Amino acid sequence: MRTSWMSRLTSALFALPYTLCFAMFLLFPIGYGLYISLHDFELLSEEHPFVGLDNYIAIFSGGTYENSVFLRGLWATAQFVLFSVPLLIAVGLGLALLVNVLPGRIRGLFRTFYFMPYAISASVMAVIWLMMFDTNAGFINSMLMKLGIDTIPWLTDTPWAWVSLIATTLWWTIGFNMIIFINALNEVPEDYYEAASIDGATVWSKFAYITLPSIRPVMLFVMITSTIASFNVYAQPYLLTRGGPGDSTKVLLMNVLDQAFIRKEIGSASAMAIIMALLIMIISVVQYRLTYGRKESGV
Amino acid sequence: MKGTRKLLLILLATVIAAIFLLPLVWMISTSFKNDFEALAGQMNFIPKKPTIENYMEGLSGELMNVPIVRWITNSLSVGVIGTAIVLLIDSMAAFALARLSDLPFKRTLFAMFVASLMIPGVLTFLPMYMEFNALGLINTYSALILPYTAGAFGVFLLYQFFISFPKEIEEAARIDGANKWQIYSRILLPASVSIMVTLGIFTFMGIYNDFVWPLYATTSPEMRTITAGIALMAQGSYTQAYGKLMAMTTIATLPVLIVFILGQRSFVRAITQAGVK
Repeated sequence: MRTSWMSRLTSALFALPYTLCFAMFLLFPIGYGLYISLHDFELLSEEHPFVGLDNYIAIFSGGTYENSVFLRGLWATAQFVLFSVPLLIAVGLGLALLVNVLPGRIRGLFRTFYFMPYAISASVMAVIWLMMFDTNAGFINSMLMKLGIDTIPWLTDTPWAWVSLIATTLWWTIGFNMIIFINALNEVPEDYYEAASIDGATVWSKFAYITLPSIRPVMLFVMITSTIASFNVYAQPYLLTRGGPGDSTKVLLMNVLDQAFIRKEIGSASAMAIIMALLIMIISVVQYRLTYGRKESGV
Repeated sequence: MKGTRKLLLILLATVIAAIFLLPLVWMISTSFKNDFEALAGQMNFIPKKPTIENYMEGLSGELMNVPIVRWITNSLSVGVIGTAIVLLIDSMAAFALARLSDLPFKRTLFAMFVASLMIPGVLTFLPMYMEFNALGLINTYSALILPYTAGAFGVFLLYQFFISFPKEIEEAARIDGANKWQIYSRILLPASVSIMVTLGIFTFMGIYNDFVWPLYATTSPEMRTITAGIALMAQGSYTQAYGKLMAMTTIATLPVLIVFILGQRSFVRAITQAGVK
């Protein structure tokens, strides 16, 4: 039996390094976060007394500071999700359809063009768009002036602040969804379209009755990943509008991190983060169920 | 009729491409303008008085007293080291899960790794910060590297590839007396170069471009990554020094843009794999 014992040990050694990293930087933080959320965890204080569910109760009780920042942040995030996700899906699919009807030789080129902004980091994206949207010297307002249109306070007035945040998000991330849709479209069997053409189907009915049903699983994937990404939005409002005007674009994650690093209330911030994570997971499951139904999904 | 439609579609695609590329072209154009011209509110893509001053000052470290070369060095080192670690440990774990039938707790590990893919990052962000804080590792390279080693995406990507690897080659090697390490390093890895490149590009870009974690995990100017550094500059006293800011963003974007364009095919494949999963 000695060899088999040795063999199992060597097998375990292969999985060990990653499993350790997984335990230390994913599993442990989850448990530790739960622990912190049950304590009055002032960042600079030595004492962290156990307070049970108080941090959670404060978030859900009307009139507390925690309740108001959480709800205001959630409202801002919800608006961003509701505006951005439909566009992230529709524009992503639209670009994929467009790229796929281009002649083969230039297809790859245009795919690269639309995908390129995705390679840029959040801060570079933000600095570029701060300049583009600058009220006085920005490219977009300069263009409007040339056309004889009044300049627009892109980042400092609503609803323009939302328009700017959604537009930059589309520019920055849409390539990812487009690539996924291109792959999905390429996997729809060509025979379906040929058969439909023989039956005299129009372009639109082919799209509605063949393309859309065939890419439903991918549509769901894009919807869930886009919703999660939009729910986690941070860099765009943090760098472009700084949550303004007022705190109208101050999204939930900004409030959670302010609670942790400006107010130093890590316990309460952790409770907010946990509720936020649960909301994200619940929304994903609901989207899955709505697409596939309870029976079909077998969940 | 068909020809006109095709031409119109190409025209539409070109207009959209122009919109996508315009901000990048404008970034490069502005980086060659002096601050006065950059703020003049003009729409000229060719600078009237082109200058490389912004770049010279930036790279010499004189620019606004900001150690931009140090930031890029930080980002590149952290990205390369982090990617190397991820490639090594993920491939070993994927090898164990896919090819070693006597791995203890195989099902449990696999289930845990799958489940972790659904966990939103916000759940681990604050406790991770507190963990590194308690270990005294905030503002060190460890803090900028280690958190990226826990992601299960790479393990899955490689698992899917390894599981489809023909068993005969492995058995032949085993009969020849090869041990597990030899099978992993001499047979499996050489056959997995392309998928490893894919994962490498994906990981490198993820680390190099990450923004929120390095912003909070570093506190002193010389430890900043380029993404965190630029964000702080844009918020600080350099707002609207567009010529200089654009020179820095252009420099910051070059490495990752080169990786992206060279490895675009691999990158697309990694996204496809993630989508199929």
